[in-house]
Amino acid sequence: MGLKLFFKEIDDISEHDEGALDLLKKRLLGAAVVIIVFFTIIVLRLWSLQVTHGKDYERRAYNNRVQVQRVVAPRGHILDRNGNEIVTNRPSFNVVLIRKDSRDLGAVLKRLAPVLEKDVSELWKKIREASGTPRYLPIRLKEDIDWETLAYLENHNHDFSGVRIEVQPVRVYHYGNLAANTLGYLGSISKKELAKADKKIYSGGDIIGKRGLERLRESDLRGEKGKNYSEVNAKGFEQQLLKSIDPLPGREIRLTLDVALQQVAETFMDAGEKSGAVVAMEVNTGRLLTVVSTPSIHIDQFVGGISHTNWKALLDNPKHPLINKAVQANYPPGSTYKMVTALAGLGKGVINEHTVFYCPGYYRFGNRTYRCWKRGGHGPVNLKKAISQSCDVYFYQVGQRVGVNSLAEYAQKLGLGKKTGVDMEHEKRGLTPTKEWKLKYRKGKWQEGETLSVAIGQGFNLVTPIQMCVMTATLANGGRVYRPQLVETVVDPEGNVVESFKPEMVNEVKGLDRYFRLIREGMVEVVQGKRGTARSVAIEGLRIGGKTGTAQVVKIAVYRHLKEKDIPYKFRDHAWFTCYAPAEHPEIAVTVMVEHGLHGGSGAGPVARAILSEYFRNRLENVNSEMAIAH
Amino acid sequence: MIRMDRRLFEHFDMILMLFICMVCTMALFNLYSASFPHSEYGVAPYVRQGYFFLMGVCAFVFAISFDYRELHSLNYPFYVLIIFLLVIAFFVGDEAGGSQRWINLGFFRLQPSEPAKLMLVIALASFYSRKEVADGYSIRQLLVPVGLTAIPFVLILLQPDLGTSLMFGIIFVSMTVFVKLRMSTYVIMGSLALGLGGFAWEQLLKPYQKQRIQTFLNPEKDPMGHGYQIVQSKIAVGSGGTFGKGYMEGTQGHLHFLPERHTDFAFAVWGEEWGFAGSLIFLGIYFMLLLWGIYVAMHAKDRFGVLLAFGVVTLIFWQAIINLLMILGFLPVVGIPLPLVSYGGSSLLTTMFALGILMNVRMRRFQSLQSVET
Repeated sequence: MGLKLFFKEIDDISEHDEGALDLLKKRLLGAAVVIIVFFTIIVLRLWSLQVTHGKDYERRAYNNRVQVQRVVAPRGHILDRNGNEIVTNRPSFNVVLIRKDSRDLGAVLKRLAPVLEKDVSELWKKIREASGTPRYLPIRLKEDIDWETLAYLENHNHDFSGVRIEVQPVRVYHYGNLAANTLGYLGSISKKELAKADKKIYSGGDIIGKRGLERLRESDLRGEKGKNYSEVNAKGFEQQLLKSIDPLPGREIRLTLDVALQQVAETFMDAGEKSGAVVAMEVNTGRLLTVVSTPSIHIDQFVGGISHTNWKALLDNPKHPLINKAVQANYPPGSTYKMVTALAGLGKGVINEHTVFYCPGYYRFGNRTYRCWKRGGHGPVNLKKAISQSCDVYFYQVGQRVGVNSLAEYAQKLGLGKKTGVDMEHEKRGLTPTKEWKLKYRKGKWQEGETLSVAIGQGFNLVTPIQMCVMTATLANGGRVYRPQLVETVVDPEGNVVESFKPEMVNEVKGLDRYFRLIREGMVEVVQGKRGTARSVAIEGLRIGGKTGTAQVVKIAVYRHLKEKDIPYKFRDHAWFTCYAPAEHPEIAVTVMVEHGLHGGSGAGPVARAILSEYFRNRLENVNSEMAIAH
Repeated sequence: MIRMDRRLFEHFDMILMLFICMVCTMALFNLYSASFPHSEYGVAPYVRQGYFFLMGVCAFVFAISFDYRELHSLNYPFYVLIIFLLVIAFFVGDEAGGSQRWINLGFFRLQPSEPAKLMLVIALASFYSRKEVADGYSIRQLLVPVGLTAIPFVLILLQPDLGTSLMFGIIFVSMTVFVKLRMSTYVIMGSLALGLGGFAWEQLLKPYQKQRIQTFLNPEKDPMGHGYQIVQSKIAVGSGGTFGKGYMEGTQGHLHFLPERHTDFAFAVWGEEWGFAGSLIFLGIYFMLLLWGIYVAMHAKDRFGVLLAFGVVTLIFWQAIINLLMILGFLPVVGIPLPLVSYGGSSLLTTMFALGILMNVRMRRFQSLQSVET
């Protein structure tokens, strides 16, 4: 009713006149201006968005549209020289959760936790950590589940909405811990590594080589990731797979190592619970046949990431399993150094093969008495006898006569005191002391008495087992110092050889052939002679040249009177044995270093013997059968 | 019985008609792409919109079939009917998207707030054309138009659809300022608006409404959340570049990155697919239509005709501007469609009827025979 009255009133309002209408129409011009102004604003805004910043928005639109998923490439296999697979890959099944597909997450997790043998809170934690990331991205709940769990999850997938199985290649170690310290292991890329890495290749969560060959040869082994380009809508649902680039598997690396020899060496070292290193190398090429460091890491602990406890145990282990003792540890060389002293003596003309020194069991120099290891003395000693029976007194006198700087000079000619350049990380360089070195680093004048210690491989002298092997090979081949190498060939997935072994001579000692021969005669006597220090190493049908070494760990005489087994482990002498064979035409050099192994012959010799027996097995069997036929 | 004058056909505005047809054709074309893939809908939106266009043509023809001066009296029942529908919608209407209210008619879901906008234009035009004040309207004289505006404003605000309800305020202000006010009226109205605005922000706005306004101020901060729509809309338009990605090639729209892509954000699809060049052509025609509306107003034969034509332009112009500024990231997301372009039957029918009124004013710009005879 009120409304009707209200409209009535409006109806009564009087009509217009022409003048006012014209005034009103003039105001329309203002309206037109407003329209044009707003039109201009919108056009300018469009220009800014589409023309000025069009390229930026185009890129954003593209990123918006295409979701790129990287597909991990299978890592290159690692084989031994005979094609035995040492490291390959297998699929690892990981349990992942995709939140956008999940209904009733709480219940799903409650059901999932016992299956994965995890606590529900642990699973929730992982999901909370991923909050803020798009809901279509998988969250990894457990890695490398077993077949039983996999089968259970697949059969009951309706109970686990949003839970998926993701397949990822992981390493398989066919020979367990074989050469573990040399091959190394993999791990998730760290933030630091990621910061330095090429972003086109690496992204967070990638698995990369962390140590050893896996790290050094990362670029060969990793291959190229594949990519799946899929169009997704704003909610993250995949619309279609646009393009898929298959991953390019990593390159296959064939090593110079021989699995059989490596196994023999490791078995021997492990059986005796020996801590130390074994290196076997081809004398005329530098190909490494065996590189052992014991105790080694347990490679299985690293698959899928090592646990904190295991890592701590490795770090705390007094035998340092993380260190590759073949290259990453310096040791006093002990009597194995006597070949250097001999070569220096011969080279400097201080001695020849007929020179004889008398050994009463000690050598007096200055106001000190330097003992021979044999208290009763060796009597008259020539070079051959001095080497074969490791007479300290003989070498004290040679060392004293040539001086420490000449010892260092010849040591360096044989490859000591500098890195061998082997394809391994953190190689130690050893130490060949000189007078200048002492002045510079120890702030002291060289004492002549110290030369005597150096001459028998004690004192400041330090070598790595691989240096010792290179030195032995150099003695055996007559002066050619080769860089020890691990890689025979690198083959890409198409089968093309992209890299193949070439011997690399680092140094060649010329004009000393005769001296090398003399020293080798002594070394053969060490193994083959009746009074040699390594008679136990001798193998029937094979002539071996070698040298034992016993390196004092401490000088303290306190333990000297004790029986060997009563000396505390860490104060026991290191045992060295280095050798080559066959004596006539050397092929292989073997160096064994056993920490606190007491005696070179007994502590290190058997390992070398086992390696040589394995290396020459076929030939020895033939010889033996021929001999049997002849009889 | 309405007598058909020969001059009606002579004065039928072919230019206005051409602009309308061009905009409608481009809009329908665009909708085909914007609602792709069509399998997602029961009946594809472009098909439905096609039917609405046919209905719109009927509404247009109906709107030109009588002398617009009849609206002086038709205005009352029209006003009452729409308010009635708004009340119905408030109590029994369907809710969509948490705000707008619909009345489900079975074949068609009517959104009474759309014709309500036109209803207000006609009511105000009618009011202001009857009373003319040489030195402008005083505040007391404005009580009736304020009341006419406040009733639909409050009903729609309660739905709660803030964006649409503000349209009533904008229409009121535009038309009222157009007819001239006293200085004192400006001052009082201005301070009242400020006070009410502050009160509304503190007391009346729902949290999600505040959120929208805050998001608008910094949309990039939360690209997956409330700012998402604005960011995606800018990406869609911007990625179109100078010449666009080509018809049906717009990935933003087709991959659902763009929200409401066939309704409120339909123009973003056009911008993406046709680029700056295409947008310029489209907007050029669209704004020519509006300017032609002003031209129609200028040549109207009486005050009511001027106000009606101006009101129709106002109605379309402000909706278009708000919609475009929103799509281009200058305004928060408010549910205002781009007339003729956005999918939606209520809006389309209302706009076609409004354009019909514009044509009506144009066709009857000559002095009526009745007045000559009497």
